[in-house]
Amino acid sequence: MTGADLFTVLVAIVAGAIRVSTPFLFVSLGECLTEKSGRVNLGLEGTLVLGAMVAFAGSYHSGNPWLGVAAAAAAGFVLGALHGAICRLPRVNDVAIGIAMMSFGTGLAVFLGKPYIQPTAPRLPSLPIGDWLGMPSLALALDLSPLFLVGVALAFLLDWAFRNTRAGLVVRVTGDDAAAARALGIAVDRVRLVATALGGASAGVGGAFLSLFYPGSWNEGLSSGQGLMAVALVIFARWQPRRCLVASLLFGAAGALGPALQSIGVTTGYYFFNAAPYVLTLLVMAGTGSARRAARHAPGELSITR
Amino acid sequence: MHRSASLSIWSGDKLRHAAEFIAVPALALAISAAIFSAILLAMGQSPAAFFQLLWRGAFGTAFSWQNTLQRAAPLILTALCVALPARAGLMVIGGEGAFVMGGLAAAAAALPLLGWAPASVVLLLMAIAGTAAGALWIGLVGVLRHRRGVNETIASLLLAYIAVAVLSFLVEGPLRDPASPNKPSTHPIGAETMLGPIPGTSVHWGLAAGLVACLAAHVLISRTTVGFAIRIAGGNPRAALGQGLPVGRLLVLCCLLAGAAAGLAGFFDVATVHGAANVSLVAGYGFTGILVSFLARHNALAIPPVAILFGGLGAAGGLIQRRLGLPDATVALLEGVIFVTLLTSETLYGRFAIFQPRGARRGP
Amino acid sequence: MREAFTTSAAKGAALEAIGLSKRFGAFQALDRVSLKVPAGEFHALLGENGAGKSTLVKCLMGFHRADEGEVLLDGREARIRNPREAQALGLGMVYQHFTLVPSLTGAENLVIARRDAPAVIDWTAERRRLGAFLERMPFRVPLDREVGALSAGERQKLEILKLLYLDQRFMILDEPTSVLTPAEADEMLGHLKAMAERGEITVLMITHKFREVMAFADAVTILRHGRVVGAGRGLTTREMAMMMVGESPGTDRGKAAQPPRREKPRSHEPSLELAGLFAEDEDGRPALRGVSLKVGAGEIVGLAGISGNGQNALVEACCGQRPLLAGQIFVNGHDFMPTRRSFDEAGMFVVPEEPLRNAAVSGMSVADNIAFRRFDKPPLSWRGWWLDLRAIGATGRELMARFRVAGPSPDAPIGTLSGGNVQRAVLARELSSERISVLIVANPCFGLDFASAAEIRARIVAARNDGAAVLLISEDLDEVLELADTVAVIARGRITYKAPIAEVDRGTVGIRLADGAEE
Repeated sequence: MTGADLFTVLVAIVAGAIRVSTPFLFVSLGECLTEKSGRVNLGLEGTLVLGAMVAFAGSYHSGNPWLGVAAAAAAGFVLGALHGAICRLPRVNDVAIGIAMMSFGTGLAVFLGKPYIQPTAPRLPSLPIGDWLGMPSLALALDLSPLFLVGVALAFLLDWAFRNTRAGLVVRVTGDDAAAARALGIAVDRVRLVATALGGASAGVGGAFLSLFYPGSWNEGLSSGQGLMAVALVIFARWQPRRCLVASLLFGAAGALGPALQSIGVTTGYYFFNAAPYVLTLLVMAGTGSARRAARHAPGELSITR
Repeated sequence: MHRSASLSIWSGDKLRHAAEFIAVPALALAISAAIFSAILLAMGQSPAAFFQLLWRGAFGTAFSWQNTLQRAAPLILTALCVALPARAGLMVIGGEGAFVMGGLAAAAAALPLLGWAPASVVLLLMAIAGTAAGALWIGLVGVLRHRRGVNETIASLLLAYIAVAVLSFLVEGPLRDPASPNKPSTHPIGAETMLGPIPGTSVHWGLAAGLVACLAAHVLISRTTVGFAIRIAGGNPRAALGQGLPVGRLLVLCCLLAGAAAGLAGFFDVATVHGAANVSLVAGYGFTGILVSFLARHNALAIPPVAILFGGLGAAGGLIQRRLGLPDATVALLEGVIFVTLLTSETLYGRFAIFQPRGARRGP
Repeated sequence: MREAFTTSAAKGAALEAIGLSKRFGAFQALDRVSLKVPAGEFHALLGENGAGKSTLVKCLMGFHRADEGEVLLDGREARIRNPREAQALGLGMVYQHFTLVPSLTGAENLVIARRDAPAVIDWTAERRRLGAFLERMPFRVPLDREVGALSAGERQKLEILKLLYLDQRFMILDEPTSVLTPAEADEMLGHLKAMAERGEITVLMITHKFREVMAFADAVTILRHGRVVGAGRGLTTREMAMMMVGESPGTDRGKAAQPPRREKPRSHEPSLELAGLFAEDEDGRPALRGVSLKVGAGEIVGLAGISGNGQNALVEACCGQRPLLAGQIFVNGHDFMPTRRSFDEAGMFVVPEEPLRNAAVSGMSVADNIAFRRFDKPPLSWRGWWLDLRAIGATGRELMARFRVAGPSPDAPIGTLSGGNVQRAVLARELSSERISVLIVANPCFGLDFASAAEIRARIVAARNDGAAVLLISEDLDEVLELADTVAVIARGRITYKAPIAEVDRGTVGIRLADGAEE
């Protein structure tokens, strides 16, 4: 491997990490918010796919990609609210409902999205941050999506809100100790409903990134399971929005490593890197699982960490 | 309570109880149909024509029945991968991983034998390899749960992803057949080795295996002492410990059997459909299996009918697409609607006074 | 701004309860209870388990509504319909369990508890105000750490700070020191006492510990069976103990036909020997701290104790639900490990308290639950692996009849039965064996009616008469004194007292119960 090759690979990884990580970022922030309120939503994959389809349709019909993003957020909000409303019923299993919602969201997206496979819709603009390099190929690789910046801002915003706003504290109280929340007069079910709906909206925006920026078109196989892995990301990030950013970039970089290596002729073996974040998450869980301190980061009401 | 009277009361209670298990899902299915009819009407389609075609495509003819059963077969086995651990109180959702590993191991096991060993030997070893790989995959989930306290839901989901990565790595790398440029695959086992259909049908043997496995699981859980112990451990681990039962080992056993079922399904997918391991194995059978198991309330005997219902929906997709000009995802959407309403209907159990036993009393 | 920040003028309120009565079904929990706590007093509320202390304070705090009687706050009638109204009137309560949210910091817990918490919190200003608030407090707690990372003592202090922060100056403390070390307890109570003396707060403290009463309380009220049996100042420990446990067994008990006892020559070797057992509770605190106890064949050792002194951990450790950190259990001289084979070989049977939670599967049928002990042995199964469902049903039916388990059928889920019937079904399972060598029973009659309790007690004595070594763990002192051949007391995870029933003096046991080891 020459120095130039190494440089190419590094730039490709950084650029790829940012691109691949953006949907990860939105679904993990959405899942983080939902889980902080004490509920788990395994259905964000469906939300992501529906968001992608709705965003594309919105952009296609209105001509404005940002309207598409808003439509995706709205669709995600509705799916999340549905999940939240169903899960507050007694005896309903939130894990199973999550998977059913995944199936429902994906089915709805594919059903409604048939007409949008061929046409092209206005895509989100990109911020060329690589121009100063003077190398067109690299500059192209470093086109930055404004949605990535929105996601980064959202991560910091959530982080701030969890510490500095009443709403943020209410969500954390609800997720950590429902009995204490009720004693404080908090309507636990309503908080979880809203948190799940907002989490869904965030995942919807992640879908908009897929169809409106990269790869930038709508088709049925658009998502490669980013939504499903939101739960793993959040565990990896130990339920902290800022760490969700790091985790998303890490998962994204692992995903970008393959194509980057391919570009310099290394064509095998990179699938190991794809799996690396999942192996790492599993090791983190196994390493700390039996210790009592480990679960301290997790919201106390969460069913999946018990 | 007069004991003489209790017998007759109970038979009535049992009937009421059974009626609830029919009435609630029936109501949920009716609601799904209503929701979906509204969608169809909004699209200018006739619900009557749709459901008629759905019936014909799923169960109307011998051909559609075979298609339906073909699709139900893997779902039966992957649903068992959820149902068995559920009886032990575990929520395993990574059957997809065991399915993939089972298919991969089966294809890999065939490689050194092809060309010289008789087909039956190859198939037997493939089946053993697939079953064992699946068993170990979910067994690992059980061990992590038992030894390290790792949540089985998340661990199995992560392992499903890892399984897909392992599959991709092996079929694009060490195990790749150079003759498969477009869709990297392992070396095909060859038509002469592949498992034929059940005689007289076009349905593959996976269906028979699934039915036998469900029956075996039912017998295990409800008629053997091991199953009895599993039910105690799943129902109340504290009570099980208090009876000196080896709770951890029972959990791991359930996970091993569950993984074996999904691994076996992977083997059948390779031995009867694809003839080689490639990314076609990742078709979501594991995830649909979760829902099938939930809808069957983790009851092994209820799994085949539910799997056949969803197999039928899938089988009808093509016909509906051709006749009504609806997208082929129509059926996927209907499936989604049914999943959500049926799971939501769980909340209705015990809400209707008419289904409640009269003899039982609560309170002191 | 907040009234909490102008505390210098704040005063503790005076509270008077007049003739409070409360009934739960047929059970008279409170019977015309009157209580007077003047402003600035540190008042202790004493009583055995079930004496009505909790019901009384829950009526004061608005969790229950009294059937009769009234409450006066600073001389004015106060109608308290729910806990929020109580809080608004300045009544605050510290519970036995923590109510702080573990993943939030102390400061976050305080601010979110405020009813007027701002939508966006200006932490600089809040910290400054909290700092000023803490300045006036007699004790400090680090407010920037997560509550989950604080020690039990710090958390309990923070609970009290929260009441002061919310300006709840009539404080009801429900056994506030049960999670604290004696040094922590003395420090905290000392601070509260000083604040009360300055008139800043009024304290009503539920406790079992005479030591704390003697050291800190100005006055006491003692409840027994829902009535005030004593009140005043300057009572001696002995006087209080006698009032608490009664001169003789309670009026509604003791008339039960004492089950016939057969005296047997006791063997010198104990059937059950617990040797230096150590175990932790869920939060990693020591629950058993070297429990050693011997029970001979044909002997009932009654282990009395106030709840939460290690009894749960002891039962769980004996039946394998809780790992032992150290120590050994011997049955008939052999080392006992809680495996299925050992249970059978040793002839050891356990009936834990709350059977539905600890010893039964609510979704399985009564017959199945009765079969737990023997399902893998003939005649209930064939060759140890094939269940004989018919035999399980028949055995279930027969034992239900023998132990008078009332239920619709052996096939009904056990969760649909009443508490007494679940208890009888579990007893049917554990007591129907041919050879019972060791029987461990915990609070077997808790929550049961008189007749059921008498029947279950008779069965325990019958097992003893047949030669079983019985360890009866009970929070009901009358039950222990009625059944035991030997009385022991567990306190703070240790056996602090053991004597033959003939030498047992009720008052001494009362003091041991309340104070545990001499500390």
